[in-house]
Amino acid sequence: MSQEVVGASGAGIMLMGRELPLGSLCTTNAVSAAIEELQYTLGEGPCVDAYRQDQVVSEPNLADPVGARWLAFTPKALDAGARAIFAFPLRVGAARIGVLDFYQDRPGPLAEKQHADALALCSVVAHSVLDIQADAPPGTLAAELEVGADFHFVVHNAAGAVSVQLGVSVTEAMIRLRAYAFSRERSLRDVAEDVVDRKLRLG
Amino acid sequence: MSREYELIRSLVDMADTLVEDFDVVDLLTGLAERCVNLLDVSAAGVMLAGPGGELRLIASSSDAMRVVETFELQAQEGPCLDAYRSGEQVSCEDLTTQTTRWQRFAVVAVEAGFLSALAIPLRLREHTVGALNLFKAEKLPVAEADLLVARAFADLAAISVLHHRSSVEALVINEQLSRALTSRVLIEQAKGVIFERAGIDMTEAFNRMRGYARGHNLLLTNVAQSVIDGTVNAAVLGTRRPSKS
Repeated sequence: MSQEVVGASGAGIMLMGRELPLGSLCTTNAVSAAIEELQYTLGEGPCVDAYRQDQVVSEPNLADPVGARWLAFTPKALDAGARAIFAFPLRVGAARIGVLDFYQDRPGPLAEKQHADALALCSVVAHSVLDIQADAPPGTLAAELEVGADFHFVVHNAAGAVSVQLGVSVTEAMIRLRAYAFSRERSLRDVAEDVVDRKLRLG
Repeated sequence: MSREYELIRSLVDMADTLVEDFDVVDLLTGLAERCVNLLDVSAAGVMLAGPGGELRLIASSSDAMRVVETFELQAQEGPCLDAYRSGEQVSCEDLTTQTTRWQRFAVVAVEAGFLSALAIPLRLREHTVGALNLFKAEKLPVAEADLLVARAFADLAAISVLHHRSSVEALVINEQLSRALTSRVLIEQAKGVIFERAGIDMTEAFNRMRGYARGHNLLLTNVAQSVIDGTVNAAVLGTRRPSKS
């Protein structure tokens, strides 16, 4: 629905916590799924910046950006098919929930109306997420939020396993997994799946 | 400084609370003070409804006002309560004649030196969140111009209070969402730890952890944290055996 309202090529909703992506609530196509996956793997990209800066982040021309940023993310996002990318913070009052990412398959800025539509959509999405979660049993995630969501649970399974293999904390294990994936140009999920299938040991 | 300037200043200050973080008690104390300074009234006070709908005294411009308003709440009668319950403005130009309407309240108010009263609900559409009380030492109605200003103050205060509440609510739910996800992440990490230590698949790793939590009457999240920290009894991990997958 999101990309239709704004007239973008695709969109994704990323939940954020402590400045890092927690996982995507939904994506509209394979390209937007790849964009969210990249940002999750790399811990950098428009959604991370939009959340940290608490403002809209625009890159109307990914292939020829104004300033050098997202050095790891940008080439891979281009490979995935994105040419322009826009990230809008999702918030209700002081509560910062996540980011709505849009991409376009051709370069160019968002029109004024698209920008306004995106802002209105963000308000609806942010309120909806909280309304849905408000009805969830205490301590649990609302089941409706898990449908179509990707919280990368397999990555956390792998982090637990790798922590035993290497005799390190799970936080450290996660860093090692990210580094392994990055150095081999693979997604964190692919590497994690290999660990969980016992095809790969880092220790 | 002219009254007009002071009025505009007050409205701007109150509108500012919509963009900046603010303290509700601070805002409403300021509101009571402004009413006394800018309007022809002797005292002002603000009551807000609690979660159960019961009114509480939040701000009073004087000690005499506090005494009368506290009494109003104890006796459960008076203009402020009527304004809150009806959502409509309640005025009384002569409290000495109100011995049937507010039998006990009228006596206490007159004794404290207040002879007329005006109460304005703090209301935004169907939501009434409290009331603003204005008392005068004379048997006179509040002037029309003062009434308009008082209403504008009350409306702004209502919007600020509602805005603040929804923001606080959103923070709480967002916090719950993060916590639910964090505890799920801990459980998934712990499954990975058991998977590797015991050489079993993820489903069985989860079943063992859940069995341990139930057997020891512990929260699953806490057991998961102990597994990750390596402090949980080895029994939960079981003995190494071939993977089922």
